Amino acid sequence: MSDVWILAHDPAAGNALARSARALGDRVFAVSIGAGVLPAADLTLVIETDGAAVLAEAYAKPVADVLRSRGAKLVVVDAGAQSRLLAGQVAAYLGVSPVNAVGITPGEPLILTRMVFGGLAMATEQITSEVAVLVVGPGTLPASQEPGAGAAEIITVEPSPGVTLLETRAKGGQTVDLTAAKRVVGVGRGFASAEDLELARALAAKLGAEMACSRPIAEGVNWMPTERYLGVSGATIKPELYIAIGISGQVQHLVGVNNAKVIVAVNKDKSAPIFEHADFGVVGDLYQVLPELTKSL
Amino acid sequence: MRIIACFKASPDVADIIVGPGRELDFSRAQWKVGSYDLNAIEAARQLADQVGAEVIGLSVGGEELANTKLRKDVLSRGLDRLVLVQGSPDADSYQTATALAVAIGELDGYDLVILGTGSSDRYAQQVGNQLGALLGLPTLNAVNSIAVDGEKIRVERALEGAEQVIELALPAVVSVTSGINVPRIAGMRDIIAAGKKPVAEQSATMPPASAHIVSLLAPEQVARGRVVVEGDPADTAAQLATFLKSL
Repeated sequence: MSDVWILAHDPAAGNALARSARALGDRVFAVSIGAGVLPAADLTLVIETDGAAVLAEAYAKPVADVLRSRGAKLVVVDAGAQSRLLAGQVAAYLGVSPVNAVGITPGEPLILTRMVFGGLAMATEQITSEVAVLVVGPGTLPASQEPGAGAAEIITVEPSPGVTLLETRAKGGQTVDLTAAKRVVGVGRGFASAEDLELARALAAKLGAEMACSRPIAEGVNWMPTERYLGVSGATIKPELYIAIGISGQVQHLVGVNNAKVIVAVNKDKSAPIFEHADFGVVGDLYQVLPELTKSL
Repeated sequence: MRIIACFKASPDVADIIVGPGRELDFSRAQWKVGSYDLNAIEAARQLADQVGAEVIGLSVGGEELANTKLRKDVLSRGLDRLVLVQGSPDADSYQTATALAVAIGELDGYDLVILGTGSSDRYAQQVGNQLGALLGLPTLNAVNSIAVDGEKIRVERALEGAEQVIELALPAVVSVTSGINVPRIAGMRDIIAAGKKPVAEQSATMPPASAHIVSLLAPEQVARGRVVVEGDPADTAAQLATFLKSL
């Protein structure tokens, strides 16, 4: 085993990543960009950022220089949008391609699994470059309970110019954590109008389920917020029960729901792929089936 | 003003067949432009129409880029001309970004490079991020709206729990979300006009890959009950209700 580096721009996410990264190395070193000292890491190189208008990502070049000079061989970041940009830029300055790892086997060489073709397949690969930069989603690595040594060094570096943060707005409306939901009702293009989603909401209310949707419902007709769409570019859930209503079951959607313990589908098209992946399917008109179902529960 | 919209062609996922040993069969798959790339092309066209700009489509790939239908398809969606770089469709993000950076460097100036969220095959969501670093330009991902303001652009960026408003000095490289717009569907006139638009071809030397593939397999299917009922709605709904109550 050896040393693993993490990049952090947020204290909570950084400590969580430090605990996960311990699965990949004996010592966890962090570069913290405006996130202070990370107690879960053994050593944090702390960059004090230059005011609220500068993004953490603007430090990618000096961070890459620091990683190179310290001989980093394995760098791990989380899968948030800001972390991903940081990872891609740092990797570019190090001359390598970052990998979205859904499975990691530590060792020499490092073996990774990543998803391809919208979840249709998994590619397993051996890292051949001198440095590996991994983007790791939540749950990919187990979280260690071991505390870090918590040492720190302050480093002084300059951000790259040209990007100015003018404003940060918290997202309006209610936030939802679909990943924690025990039951989820997903709706798709089988619904003819936004008003008709009430049929699914009534069912969800009866079951105590969260509402979710396929991508076209969130990006296209915009009947539901993007936080609620399931699939390769949306949320990945693992509830006890997932009910897909009016969803055909494209691979890009299924990859977001495949970990559900039980999958139920209602669709009028008998040959819809969703039925191949369901425990219980009803071929029928959702406008007739849903009211009857809600009544019977 | 000149805007570059990058795209990648890959096999249509709907046509890839999973074999008995979970291997992939691409023999019946048509190559098509990535669905997220269409958002980049649409964003480029909309901006260009607002400020009066040229939109150049740029792609690195293999022999699929010789396909006339694919070229016409992508040109019909709002590009003014195409620059195609012979490389490999299997290139990783850094290899692709490097080839794009070389091709962009050979153009006679540009103001903005727009990419989609990610490709349909690898979906690493990193080519734009790496390209921006290689060009040494202001770079941003998850961009949900773009407005040109003189020598700058003002964008909204969709983060997981918040939204940022950010100004970037031009030239810049941005990767847009799949929700930024609804890509146009080309009309017959666009498709006919596409055949007359200029296409330039180049070749690229790529750096070595960062990894080599050991296996490419579909995941093992979760065993499912696959009970399917049809018929009278009240009857099938009752059967489903019984199933749900049994859980």
